[in-house]
Amino acid sequence: MVILRVGMCPGLDEDLLGNLRAADVRTVEDLISSDTEELARKCSVSYKALLAIRRVLLAQHAAFPVSGADLYEELLSSTAILSTGNPSLDKLLDSGLYTGEITELSGGPASGKSQVCFGVAVHISHHLKQTVVYVDTTGGLTASRLLQMLRTETSNTDEQMEALQRIHIFHLFDIYAVLDCLYGLCSGGLQQVCVGGGSVKAVIVDSVSALITPLLGGKQSEGMSLMTQVAGVLKTMAKDFNVAALVTNHVSRSGNGEVQPGLGVSWSHVPRTRILLERVESAAASVSHSSLRSATLIKSSRQVPQAAQTVVKTYC
Amino acid sequence: MGKSSLSAVALCCCLTSRNYLRILPLPTYNEYSLHCVAVVVIRCRRLFARLDARRCLKDIEPRVFPDNGGPDHGEVVEVYGAEGTGKTELLYHLLCRCVLPKETGGLEVDVVFVDTDYSLDMSRLVSILDSLSTCSTSAGSDEAVLRSCLSRLLVVHCSSSSQLLLTLHFLETTLSSRPSVALLLIDSISAFYWSDSSEGGASLSKREEKLSKCSELLGRLLRDYRITIFASCRTIRRSSSGSSSCVEMDRPYLCRPWQCLVTHRLLCSKREADTEQMRHPVFSIHTSSSSWTGTRGSRTSFFKVTDGGVEFL
Repeated sequence: MVILRVGMCPGLDEDLLGNLRAADVRTVEDLISSDTEELARKCSVSYKALLAIRRVLLAQHAAFPVSGADLYEELLSSTAILSTGNPSLDKLLDSGLYTGEITELSGGPASGKSQVCFGVAVHISHHLKQTVVYVDTTGGLTASRLLQMLRTETSNTDEQMEALQRIHIFHLFDIYAVLDCLYGLCSGGLQQVCVGGGSVKAVIVDSVSALITPLLGGKQSEGMSLMTQVAGVLKTMAKDFNVAALVTNHVSRSGNGEVQPGLGVSWSHVPRTRILLERVESAAASVSHSSLRSATLIKSSRQVPQAAQTVVKTYC
Repeated sequence: MGKSSLSAVALCCCLTSRNYLRILPLPTYNEYSLHCVAVVVIRCRRLFARLDARRCLKDIEPRVFPDNGGPDHGEVVEVYGAEGTGKTELLYHLLCRCVLPKETGGLEVDVVFVDTDYSLDMSRLVSILDSLSTCSTSAGSDEAVLRSCLSRLLVVHCSSSSQLLLTLHFLETTLSSRPSVALLLIDSISAFYWSDSSEGGASLSKREEKLSKCSELLGRLLRDYRITIFASCRTIRRSSSGSSSCVEMDRPYLCRPWQCLVTHRLLCSKREADTEQMRHPVFSIHTSSSSWTGTRGSRTSFFKVTDGGVEFL
């Protein structure tokens, strides 16, 4: 909804605005959807002038059609596939995280969601030398853990520091702060973040369910609306700035005991690719902290959903 | 318009041959009559757009629609289903059938794709186009065929329901200037359901205001330009264990004006998978078509999704 204001476009002056208000036309949508001919008569303005205003406003506010051929061209030149640094996970994801898409990791507690996110962040910043934006909503991210992971990659402290500098962390604990941050990133923040060379290639939100779950339920639809907003801004950011978005989600059990990703049906459409992480309950779990996790591809537009399980080793 | 329109028509006719315009007395040539000319010219353009033959999509996919029941001019097809029931694949398949050239079995028409979810996966679309165009011809220069197919596709991204409304108004000019556009594809029409619901507050009419306006406009575009609309609609409720809730789940929830537009409803679902079918699940579509005279029939078809797109069983 865009309210009509003076100076929005040439010809839209105070008098005309007053007349339009009198005719109950307050927003751009009102003006566009009303019959121009009739409105011109009501507001005693020339039909031609009103038509010109309408045309300018439409051009300003409507989405512009792009040819499919151009989109394809753009896709070929800009899409990148970011390796997660974990060969078995890469295989599931058809060689890695695709820019322009949302990938979701869902799993129960201690299924290694955050650890995979840390691993991806470290890999992208250290090996691919690209900037990562990490939105931590649970307080689970610590710099010492990232450093610990980096130490297994390189012993050079300078390289470790460089890699850490390329990971930008936001600790945000409610949905409004996260929305603020994401909108900020969309309107120029992404360029500002990448000072040390290399553009932002990945945005990680760990976890998205911690933000949204408290708002769902009850008869209010506000929570759902905020959820679609988060989904919308993530998708827009992914597409417009060519970043890969990685989010984590919890799991719930359906009536017949089947594990399903959390946040309900409306969210289920949002991620393009979804991986379910589970702990491996093996007989040989004599080691109290088993580091084996199974990953299952449960949604993908590229590969046939794979029931075959691969093993993700979280770094312990 | 009444009387003034008559004089405008006269003037308009004069304008067609330049000689007369000079003979006209000066006072006639004032601003208001010029408006009327503009109006008449616009009306004429609409009229011509209506008269020229847009390609009919009746035989877009005989394996989905009941016999002789394909979508005609001015009809709306709604593809309804939950996540992972093959909606997107089906839409892409239909889209490819439209943009493919005639020699490869396509309809060779232009398509406007309104993407409200930022969900268009170009790479997937291209791979489906590739496999459909190569399997039926041995002719080379696939790249050229692909480019020409893609140039028949126009994509608009909308991020809110008001932008959708404005964009649909904007598309009217596209429709009138490109008579080859025969299909408007909206993926998905339910994308702004929750944000509209929340903005509208307690009153139902406020909640549904935006989509109603869009539907009214779509209704007019359907009439004036004789296009066909395909739209996807997502389930918003999860089916619980009870069997009665299944009906509840498939009940349309979008506003009345939209429901009135829909003439064909394609219900997508996933067939219960056996262990051997895990890798290639079978999807089913239940198509029911209705018209002014009541139901025109229904049909159920099954398909598998392969690398090259939809494969009917």
